[in-house]
Amino acid sequence: MIQFKALLIKEFKEAFRDKRALMVAMTMAMLAPVMILVLSKTMIKEMVATPPIYLNVTGESFAPKLIKQLKQNNIYPLSDVPEDIKNLWTERNIELIIPENFAEYMEEGRVITINLRADFSEKALNAPIRRIKNQINQYAQSIGAKRLIVRGIDPRILRPIQINDQDTAQPSSNAMFISLMLGLYVLMAAFMSGLSVAIDSSAGERERNVLEMLLCQPVSTFKIVAAKLCCASTISIIGVTLTLVLTSFSVSFVDLTKIGATFNLDLLMVLFLILLLLPISFFASALQLFVSFQAKSFKEAQSTVSMIIMLPAMIPVALMFIDDKPQWLDWLPVSGQSLLMDDLFKGIPINWAAFTGTALVTVGLTAALVIILSLRLKSEKVVLALS
Amino acid sequence: MKRTRLALFSFLLSITANAVLANEENSAVENCHLDGIRSQVQCGSLNVPENYNKPEGKNISINYAVLPAIDSSKNNAPLMFLAGGPGQAAVELAAHIRRSFAEIRKTRDIILIDQRGTGLSQPMLCDEATKGNLYSMIPEEFSEQETLDCITKLKETNELSQYNSENAIRDFDAVREALGYKQVNLYGGSYGTRAALVYMRLFPEAIKSVVLDSVGPIEVPIGLFGLSSERSFNLLLEHCANEESCNKAYPNLKEEFETVVNRLSNQVISLSVNHPRLGTKISFKLSKGKFISTLFKQLYSTQTRTIVPLIIHQAFLENYQPLLGLIATGEDAMSMYVGLTFNIVCNEDMPRVTDDMRVKDSKNSFDGGSSHAIFKTACDVWPKYQVDDAFYKPVVANIPTLILSGDLDPVTPPSNGEKSASTLPNSHHIISKNSAHIVASSACGVAMINDFLQHLDPKKVDQTCLLDIPAESFMTSLNGSI
Repeated sequence: MIQFKALLIKEFKEAFRDKRALMVAMTMAMLAPVMILVLSKTMIKEMVATPPIYLNVTGESFAPKLIKQLKQNNIYPLSDVPEDIKNLWTERNIELIIPENFAEYMEEGRVITINLRADFSEKALNAPIRRIKNQINQYAQSIGAKRLIVRGIDPRILRPIQINDQDTAQPSSNAMFISLMLGLYVLMAAFMSGLSVAIDSSAGERERNVLEMLLCQPVSTFKIVAAKLCCASTISIIGVTLTLVLTSFSVSFVDLTKIGATFNLDLLMVLFLILLLLPISFFASALQLFVSFQAKSFKEAQSTVSMIIMLPAMIPVALMFIDDKPQWLDWLPVSGQSLLMDDLFKGIPINWAAFTGTALVTVGLTAALVIILSLRLKSEKVVLALS
Repeated sequence: MKRTRLALFSFLLSITANAVLANEENSAVENCHLDGIRSQVQCGSLNVPENYNKPEGKNISINYAVLPAIDSSKNNAPLMFLAGGPGQAAVELAAHIRRSFAEIRKTRDIILIDQRGTGLSQPMLCDEATKGNLYSMIPEEFSEQETLDCITKLKETNELSQYNSENAIRDFDAVREALGYKQVNLYGGSYGTRAALVYMRLFPEAIKSVVLDSVGPIEVPIGLFGLSSERSFNLLLEHCANEESCNKAYPNLKEEFETVVNRLSNQVISLSVNHPRLGTKISFKLSKGKFISTLFKQLYSTQTRTIVPLIIHQAFLENYQPLLGLIATGEDAMSMYVGLTFNIVCNEDMPRVTDDMRVKDSKNSFDGGSSHAIFKTACDVWPKYQVDDAFYKPVVANIPTLILSGDLDPVTPPSNGEKSASTLPNSHHIISKNSAHIVASSACGVAMINDFLQHLDPKKVDQTCLLDIPAESFMTSLNGSI
């Protein structure tokens, strides 16, 4: 035990010596809250904002009430555009062409054709065009309903069936997109925060000839590996915790109620998430140690380990595309945790069996990696990077 | 107040930070789906004594729903919505309220309670008989017998004297307590304002603030709408005359209205028409009372007012189809529990109406007092309960109160709001020029309420958005107008 303690202290000293490298590793934790904040703000703006739209209207005087309704909904003729955004809207040039016979056709109950001309492939115009169409359709529908009423017909007969959506999601569900992002980021944090420490204490030490020295000491290779693992995964857990704490702080700056959503990350949830990701942190570090010991040089270790980082990013995304998830996905590392996080954010009660299952499988795999690694470290092939 | 829209909005709001989160242990509260709302809300029911003086006696169940705040972390005191009528069931209005009060629901739970006698709280429905013959029924033929049948039916299940305003408030406060809220904000619309005023008198300490929208003060009896509807109708005529297209299409609107009324005074018109929904041949009877009451209902909202000049003009030209279509649209309008309407109005309001008041109210150019008939007929036979004189005293309570009135309102004119404003020391009265009954039916009305709930100073409410509510405009031809 004393040996292990000494080893652990040595690893921590090494890890914390290079403060700048450590800071860089922790930036991952900073990145998530910032990204979530920025992305949600932009998304909310796009989802709720009905900024003024300026239309190049021809024949404005033929349909004054239609223009009035458009104005009520923040859609104005180009003549009203303020100077500072005049160029933008002149360039976008959404044209609404109201025919001269508008009044006549309206009176006679014929179909009036209004032309809406714009570059429909321009993405920035999608929302304005949709809003313009909605407003004109609403205006037309309300006239249509009144036409029926004044002919003694109940306009509701035009709508034989109405679908009433009944969503069974928990009312307390968190905003989907934030949950998705956060789930991804904490997994990434688990994999990335300990990364530099893992590579440095394996491939790095080998290149600095520290590893050889270490292996000469009368300690078991298992203890050496365990000390390295504990150090790297501690850093990884710090990264995860930081991500969660900072995110819960940054999300409070986003007014999600604007889009009818909410996001609550309370202490209990944070604790649960840390507990959930604890095995993953160990697993990630073990995997990284394993791979970098396999590599022949520090450089090679860096590039191979970077590939492993794709794992947490790919698995949750891939899971989104699988509609019928096979049971075993609940048990695998990364996918199991990812699915449990989904449930947690949706407010679904936690499936403790799956929780224990995935934790055991993850810990088991970690243990297997550690044992294999400590066996391999006995071979000089690994120590000297011979193949 | 017979019209349903009248009662659309009545809420109790309370903003206190000390509001306790909805009591989780109250096992009666469970997730449920309400019509027209996609996400789940919370529903529950509470047993209360039918007669509060006999707590061991019969219990009745009070149905309620909570529309949870989107962001519950703010811990704002909830808003309790007091429905109108009397006779509207708040829970049935859930989808409507959820939509229009979206801004408020962002950080506040909204509590909806079916007043005893409505919805799923011992409902007092009366109108099964009349539902089928919407088109052949005329108000002039409304008979005592219908009322008597209804009374007999209701008496089997309900002790009528207990279905009064004060007991309703006792129920509401019991629900508040059961839900674990220390204080609530009240929103009352139409009769809901009356309920809110009674609440302020009975349980002032449970109320954080009050919004009275389209006020029916306790001291002004419900049921005399002659003068107020005349005022509302005259404003409509004036606005039509001022709008170029409307004036051009209907230059003699007032004369045409009088001509139709005279024509119908002499004889009831009976027509063979197609049923607006079924398409089958039916007989459509049109009398003066039916003509006026149909128009009267359209005066409640700026949307329906648009069609009034056209209806009058077409009726003048002896085309009654528009009127028929209009009656059809009222068919499924949110239901009124008319038994409760009569029970409350006949006992709490009609006894206060003197012959003098009736005569005065009849002297108007719109309905000529014909709107009194139904309440008079029903109330003559409706079982009485004793209302204490103290009930009619104006409510004086030092609770922040925002009072809203729509200038075009045919039933609760701004003068009503003035009355309440003068007795409530911490209140402010805002009149919306281009609103009719229920100011909160416009986005601006809700925005003002939301603003008020944030700071609770009725005088500081930002009313600039009132200028954005468009003036009413009218449909000038059978195919619409440009």
